[in-house]
Amino acid sequence: MCGAFLSAFTAAAPAPGPDDVTPPSADAAPAGVKTLDQEVQGLKKDVIDLNKDLFVLQEELLFPANTQVAVYISMDVGAFFALDSVQVKIDNKEVKNYLYTAREADALLKGGVQEIYLGNLKVGKHELVAFFTGKGPMTRDYKRGATMTFDKGVGAKYLELKITDRVPKHQPEFLIKDWE
Amino acid sequence: MLAGGVFLAALVIAPSHAAAPTLVGKDAPDFVLRAIDGRNLRLSEYRGQVVLVNFWARWEGDTREQMHALDRINTTYQRAGLVVLGISVDEDVRRAREYADAMAVSYPILFDNGSNLGKDYMLQKMPVTILVDRAGVVRYSVVGFKRGDERGYLDQIRELLRE
Repeated sequence: MCGAFLSAFTAAAPAPGPDDVTPPSADAAPAGVKTLDQEVQGLKKDVIDLNKDLFVLQEELLFPANTQVAVYISMDVGAFFALDSVQVKIDNKEVKNYLYTAREADALLKGGVQEIYLGNLKVGKHELVAFFTGKGPMTRDYKRGATMTFDKGVGAKYLELKITDRVPKHQPEFLIKDWE
Repeated sequence: MLAGGVFLAALVIAPSHAAAPTLVGKDAPDFVLRAIDGRNLRLSEYRGQVVLVNFWARWEGDTREQMHALDRINTTYQRAGLVVLGISVDEDVRRAREYADAMAVSYPILFDNGSNLGKDYMLQKMPVTILVDRAGVVRYSVVGFKRGDERGYLDQIRELLRE
């Protein structure tokens, strides 16, 4: 009986041969390192997602849709006007005075749309006035204004200041558009 | 008695150029100002370069000497990636412009247009010289200027340019 037990034990555990050498944790070490790297990447992604969510939440809290008003600016080809600065007034109160660097003006010319102002307004009628300063045709100093009366409803209001080239008259044109 | 005397002496012999430590280590507040040549310059557009910002006023006695020193620094280190910006905080922009024209330095002179710059940079005494690293962080801040201080600037500039 003891011999049977002993032979069973011997059979169960084959003796390792001289060539039968398994490197110690050869597969475990790289897998462990890869897992740590994956964890770090995962954490970074979580931080980025959290940051994004916090930003959106902050915007929703500070500028809720029922009072939010956003003003954007865009520029057409720009052959007749080089933008230097924009001043925005709402209900006769200055809300933004923005100086443009050469790089920023160039970005607008390349099709960029800038959110120049984000604020809150009560429901009702309001007036927006925008003054555009820069160099006009023949690089003369140029300042023009545009005005718009709009109705602020319960939803967010989006307005766009558009600077375009009026080719037939060789003059720039300044418009305010309501994104209804 | 002796210890008290030593303590009092230490208080009296205070450094003439106190650092303004509150901004050091923090992101330099961004600004955009009009330069004397009509360009609009924004601090954040110089990210990636080392920037020396010097706030000055023409009524400060050491302004002229400091501007000459900064002009030499700009000439030497501009090609190495240093940007020097001089910002006048003088409310009388016309006279500040005349002063700057007369100085004819090689770096841009900007004029504060009544923005929050004084508050953002905690300007209480002029001149104030700040060094901003390539990541946009304020690394050094010094109030005041006397002859020889530019040697200290150079050590700090070289250190930041090497980063």
